[in-house]
Amino acid sequence: MTTALGTFKDRARKALGDKTLKTALDRTTGNARVKRAAAVAAWPDFDRARAAAAAIKDHALAHFPHYLEQFERNALASGAKIHWARDAKEACAAVIDICRQAKAKTATRSKSMLGEEIGLPDALAEAGIRRVETDLAEHIIQLAGETPSHIIWPAAHRTREDVSKLFQQHHRDHLLLTEVEAMVASARHELRDDFFGAEVGISGANFLVAETGAICTITNEGNAELTTTPPRVHIVTAGIEKIVATTEHALQLTRLLVRSATGADLTQYTTFHCGPKRAGDRDGPEEFHIVLVDHGRTQMLEEMPDMLRCVRCGACLNHCVVYRKIGGHAYGGAYPGPMGAALTPIFDGLEPSRDLPHACTLNGMCKQVCPVDIPLPTLLRDWRAKSFRQGFESPALRRGLALWALVASKPRLYRAALALALPLLRRRGKDGWIAALPFTPGWTQSRDFPTPAKKTFLAQIESGEQA
Amino acid sequence: MSARHDIFSALRRLRPQSHSEAAIAAQARDLARAMQDCLPPLEFSDLVENFIARVTAEKVGASVERAADWSNLPEAVARYAETHGLAKEAALQPDSRLLALDWSEIRAAPLTSDTMMAVGAARGGIAETGSLLFHSGPEAPTLYGFMPLHHIVALEARAIVARFEDYAAQEQGQPQPRNVNFITGASGTTDIEGVLARGAHGPRRLHIVMIG
Repeated sequence: MTTALGTFKDRARKALGDKTLKTALDRTTGNARVKRAAAVAAWPDFDRARAAAAAIKDHALAHFPHYLEQFERNALASGAKIHWARDAKEACAAVIDICRQAKAKTATRSKSMLGEEIGLPDALAEAGIRRVETDLAEHIIQLAGETPSHIIWPAAHRTREDVSKLFQQHHRDHLLLTEVEAMVASARHELRDDFFGAEVGISGANFLVAETGAICTITNEGNAELTTTPPRVHIVTAGIEKIVATTEHALQLTRLLVRSATGADLTQYTTFHCGPKRAGDRDGPEEFHIVLVDHGRTQMLEEMPDMLRCVRCGACLNHCVVYRKIGGHAYGGAYPGPMGAALTPIFDGLEPSRDLPHACTLNGMCKQVCPVDIPLPTLLRDWRAKSFRQGFESPALRRGLALWALVASKPRLYRAALALALPLLRRRGKDGWIAALPFTPGWTQSRDFPTPAKKTFLAQIESGEQA
Repeated sequence: MSARHDIFSALRRLRPQSHSEAAIAAQARDLARAMQDCLPPLEFSDLVENFIARVTAEKVGASVERAADWSNLPEAVARYAETHGLAKEAALQPDSRLLALDWSEIRAAPLTSDTMMAVGAARGGIAETGSLLFHSGPEAPTLYGFMPLHHIVALEARAIVARFEDYAAQEQGQPQPRNVNFITGASGTTDIEGVLARGAHGPRRLHIVMIG
């Protein structure tokens, strides 16, 4: 899609030339892949559990209105206030309205991708409410004036050297730190007062539990509880697809979600929040608001219901050969990588985001590592087909594909064309590789094409040769 | 029309209710049971042993000591303070089992944003992951687990259950607390290059005194 930073292709090209980005991405995604692999290896029945997890999410979606209504009823009974939002604008307006009524000057925020999706940071800025991001990575990118580049590690594009510079420049003690531990301690010190000074704390939700009306957050830093407990008002923003039937289902999904995300058995802090402060409680918010957001979910239920199973673990990003080369910002939407390429056309429309489903090699890794078995390659192929049908692709591409279809559907013509092309291609080859292809120079701009064999596969079989 | 009305009409059009509530609930139970058939194995059949192995594993990184009964807790806290060079001062969670003890060795202090040490009492534990369980309430304010730099938690060995499913079964039909906290090790973050660092916003260290 086109943003202030140009088209997807421009951004991807720029990212490919950024050596620091490559270092940062290799370190974070490499660590994540190793840890996930170890966690999965220690769970012999992981594949069956994946199917069971997918079935648990599908069940909630099969009875979507039933469970959502049950959630609403139980949440209201706990003293929570429920707000419904059809789109991003309504969702932000609901949050800002609650902040204004609370006369909030400062709002602390615990990382929520839905918040990014609906543009909440900008909405708070426009309303003149000081936003303090409390998740360490969100804090880093807030200092850098950036958006998240990964859904689990929003600062995955930043090296420790970058973070050191940012903290020296922006933190009150202006220390030059080289160790990660010291940087973490510095952020702890910097954010301490804001946790207890904010009038409003805003969180997301990993699950909405129908049977209790509670929402569940999972974090490793403890910032969610410090964001949601001390302020007078706690606001939850959540997509309606976070609904699950029971506490048991939520905990069962967490098992797969956390292993897929960080390789841990469980996040350090898994917390269910149900309503405001009660009689006798020494802490907790006096007001508890839940903003339930559609923003394309009902459309997805019709057009690609599989995607509503997504638990936002980020495994598909860490294992995607494209994401690992270009990082998250190149995608231009709130969600990058394979899941982002599937989601962004829903939020922003297919025409401006049609390049994203094309930025995929269809190697299938994303589906293989998905803890709820979302057929991401199929969803991306479906977007490509739709983009072609709706006439969004360039005339040159359309003519090329039409020609290909004509040749490929007539075996004799296809073989004749191949017999003509083979010697021509082989002549261009050097040491087994072709450095520049005719007609599609873009393909070989940053990679080589393998020189084809002397004879086609069929010809080899017919002459009885061993392949 | 209201947003709520529009969202529900779309959902009802796409997913009309075709089963009774009882049938849906039965399906939900069957799905939970199907997951129970393919859980990650427990390393030890003894729940306490498994809990200790998980919570002291490198990736969780808490420490554990055994104590015969509650009366041993204050001396364990004093010893911990000495080992870590801390003042013998702690915020005590207002749990009645904990407040009934003789704290003459430890100065009780209020919980503040720079509390060094807090002592808590867990409601239970999960052997599978080495998680401590807290239900918020007058005797268990949520922030005791999040504000101190060192969190020392008493856990009765008999309050440990094997799995999350056992916890869920135990709570079936019980009122939902305002907060249910599962705490698994000290606060940590991998936000810088995926490298684990402790003490992000919550405690840097978690020490468990296993009672019984």
